[in-house]
Amino acid sequence: MGLVALLVTLLLAGCGSASWRRRNAGSVGPTSNRQDPALSGNGQLLASLVSRGERDTVILQEQRSGRLLPLPQLQRLEPHRSPSLSWNGRYLALVGQQGDRRLVVILDRARGQLHRIPLPGDVELERLSLAPDGQRLAVGLLSNGRPALQLIDLSGLLEADRPGGLTSLGGGVP
Amino acid sequence: MNRSLGKALGPWALVIGLLSGCSGSMPRPMRDLDALLLQAGPSQAPSLAGPWLALIGHRHNRDQVQLLDLNQRHPVPLPGLNRPDAQPLSVSVDSSGQRLAVVRQREGRTELVLYRRELMGLEPIAMAPPGVPRRVALRADGRELTVEVSRNGEWQVDLIAVP
Repeated sequence: MGLVALLVTLLLAGCGSASWRRRNAGSVGPTSNRQDPALSGNGQLLASLVSRGERDTVILQEQRSGRLLPLPQLQRLEPHRSPSLSWNGRYLALVGQQGDRRLVVILDRARGQLHRIPLPGDVELERLSLAPDGQRLAVGLLSNGRPALQLIDLSGLLEADRPGGLTSLGGGVP
Repeated sequence: MNRSLGKALGPWALVIGLLSGCSGSMPRPMRDLDALLLQAGPSQAPSLAGPWLALIGHRHNRDQVQLLDLNQRHPVPLPGLNRPDAQPLSVSVDSSGQRLAVVRQREGRTELVLYRRELMGLEPIAMAPPGVPRRVALRADGRELTVEVSRNGEWQVDLIAVP
């Protein structure tokens, strides 16, 4: 088994490098810095962070047109971090900040609705990952300096966003 | 240590539990899975897709990529992925659970690799133009990945089609 795995690895390493098709997401506005990217499950939307002033702000870009979609509901919750998108990009989850406190929010772009996910005050939020169907959330946090994960069931809160489901509506604004 | 973490998170579970009792539309902590994760030790950098949770866990005194099947509630073996001389920094899984993209440090270099579970094989993905990868995210259908890359003092985002 080990020999087979080694052979496969060598074959892939030898012939794989030429087959990677790549592109750069490009720069947005005055800064070319972009960080923390996340794709919707269908690949049509790319979320990433750009620095505006001294605060990281999430941007959402249509891959086909390059158009940036407005996200007014997320203003005043900067700095943003760890954006995560559902399958069709209906839901955008991220760690935001209000005052001194970090919080997890999920924007339902189809309804223009912002959901705040309650978390205890004595943990420090680090990373999150939204399941592509929007039914689960994994939160990476520090509790007493120790890294840990918490899983949250969102099935009572959010409609599922499955392949071929409701198409997102361009930022959730009229 | 697990006990102290459980104590710290206890009030949160209680608050959400009470709220979920009042309303059917509240998020609910998944206590049984959280307990499973807590028992397994420190974990970070989660990636959820379908029934799969990929993470970087601290096991046997080193960081390792782990893949959990949340339906079956057990870890899935990843032969050939974790090496004693490699430190994983970021991981992402697709919704089939077959592909994992990993950024890791090895021999003083930071590299991006794609692991295919059915082949138990690792493919290195070189940065072009050259750069240092940091965070990676696979598309849920596994057909593309996006990676944050440091080049010439700037952070850029690359998109790479997965063949």
